[in-house]
Amino acid sequence: MENSSPVLEVRDLTIRYGASPAVKNVSLVIPERRITAVIGPSGCGKSTLLRQLNRMNDFIRDANMDGEVLYRGVNLYDSEVDAVEVRRRIGMVFQKPNPFPKTIFKNISWGPVINGFRGDLQELVRSSLERAALWDEVKDRLSDSALALSGGQQQRLCIARALALQPEVILMDEPASALDPVSTARIEDLMFELKERYTIVIVTHNMQQAARVSDYTAFLDAGRLVEFGETDQVFTRPEQKRTEDYVSGRFG
Amino acid sequence: MPALEPSANLARRKRLAGAFRAATMLLTWLCLALLAVLLVHATRQGLPWLDLQFLTEFPSRFPERAGIKSALFGTLWLISLTAVFSIPVGVAAAVYLEEYAGRRRINALIEVSIANLAGVPSIVYGMLGLALFVRWLALGRSVVAGAMTMSLLILPIIIIASREALRSVPDSIRRASYALGATQWQTIRHHVLPAALPGILTGTILALSRAIGETAPLIMIGALTYVAFVPQGPMDAFTALPIQIFNWVSRPQAEFHELAAAGIIVLLTVLLLMNAIAVIIRHRSQGHR
Repeated sequence: MENSSPVLEVRDLTIRYGASPAVKNVSLVIPERRITAVIGPSGCGKSTLLRQLNRMNDFIRDANMDGEVLYRGVNLYDSEVDAVEVRRRIGMVFQKPNPFPKTIFKNISWGPVINGFRGDLQELVRSSLERAALWDEVKDRLSDSALALSGGQQQRLCIARALALQPEVILMDEPASALDPVSTARIEDLMFELKERYTIVIVTHNMQQAARVSDYTAFLDAGRLVEFGETDQVFTRPEQKRTEDYVSGRFG
Repeated sequence: MPALEPSANLARRKRLAGAFRAATMLLTWLCLALLAVLLVHATRQGLPWLDLQFLTEFPSRFPERAGIKSALFGTLWLISLTAVFSIPVGVAAAVYLEEYAGRRRINALIEVSIANLAGVPSIVYGMLGLALFVRWLALGRSVVAGAMTMSLLILPIIIIASREALRSVPDSIRRASYALGATQWQTIRHHVLPAALPGILTGTILALSRAIGETAPLIMIGALTYVAFVPQGPMDAFTALPIQIFNWVSRPQAEFHELAAAGIIVLLTVLLLMNAIAVIIRHRSQGHR
């Protein structure tokens, strides 16, 4: 691997729902300002793993874990760490666009406002929308309802909403799976731009997408990390037979 | 063999389908017809008595001078205070049960209890109100005692309707909020409650309109049947529309029965207005989505 320092580090992570494990003994290091893709067949635990990275699994009853998730060397599950603060630093974009049923402006400004942002809100909204490549499409209708936007625009709005908190990491849970091919391409282009500033972890079941956008790829199967490495290598010269079978479409 | 030869029992199945359709339609119209008979009857009896004087006069033993001013104002007082007591408590309870309480056994017990309370006969609430508010808290036969009793009566309805509204707020909104570093209260205050508000309002208005029509608990706590004044404060004695109607109906003279019919028209008008508001709110909120 190249020498980019780890932002997130997962150590011996096991996640269980009740007694049945969904993620088993996974360790991996997520490099800074790179896109790391997590791939694997349905139900392999990739979304569970992602949600563990910003403590969104806290809301799932019966979810429990062993191991550590380190953010800049601090264990996110340390008793002194507040989950609210974790989620402010580590943003998340969901599978289905979920804008608030409020104006476009409010969708962006709400997060910073409740987190005590003091500064030029107008400017923050503008720069967030610009970074999400949405500004030109919505600049004249910031006070319209976000629900009036198309699905692809809504998803970019959700990305802009996450960016407005100036996070260091953005987690994306199949961000394009509910979108048409054109909107998907725009999201992928956007991810390329975003990795200049942000560390991105994307979960996807679309292998072409993983191959196109990511620098590193982790392949999960039945909760276990089968292979983790640079995307080129994982897709063209996988070390494991199982990985080869999956990326060549033989199962999954 | 022809391509679309009907199967052997198709004709019989279609007859059955038609019969069932007719039966459901007949029963629907039967309900509406009964309602229409009631309305026509009340209107024919009461309409001649319904004028401005009827609304602005106090009750009297002379039918031609009698009005429902005290009952109308009593009902307004009663419902306003009931709303003040029951809405905050009911919505807060619903938020707790739906958003905060886990799935512990005690919460399941609370849930079942509330559902059962919604089915308790109103006279029982009247007895509770009499013991608790009129006697124990020594509030007397006041509007405030009546409103508290009515609040108890409609609280289960408000809680159940509000929980339903809160539950229908999609979880994706909550997750979006939490993912932005919001606390649980910020999430509830800014996203969940606003999204649930139309449903909460509709349920609350319907619950209040039930309270307007209730008579038994008020008689139980001893609301007066003859009141020749308008309540000036929450501690005053009062009467309400259904009590006034009940009072008139129980007199022997036919004129008072007609006055009762006029009172029913006023009561139904108030009820229909409230229900219409509820429908409008629901309709508006759907239009926005």
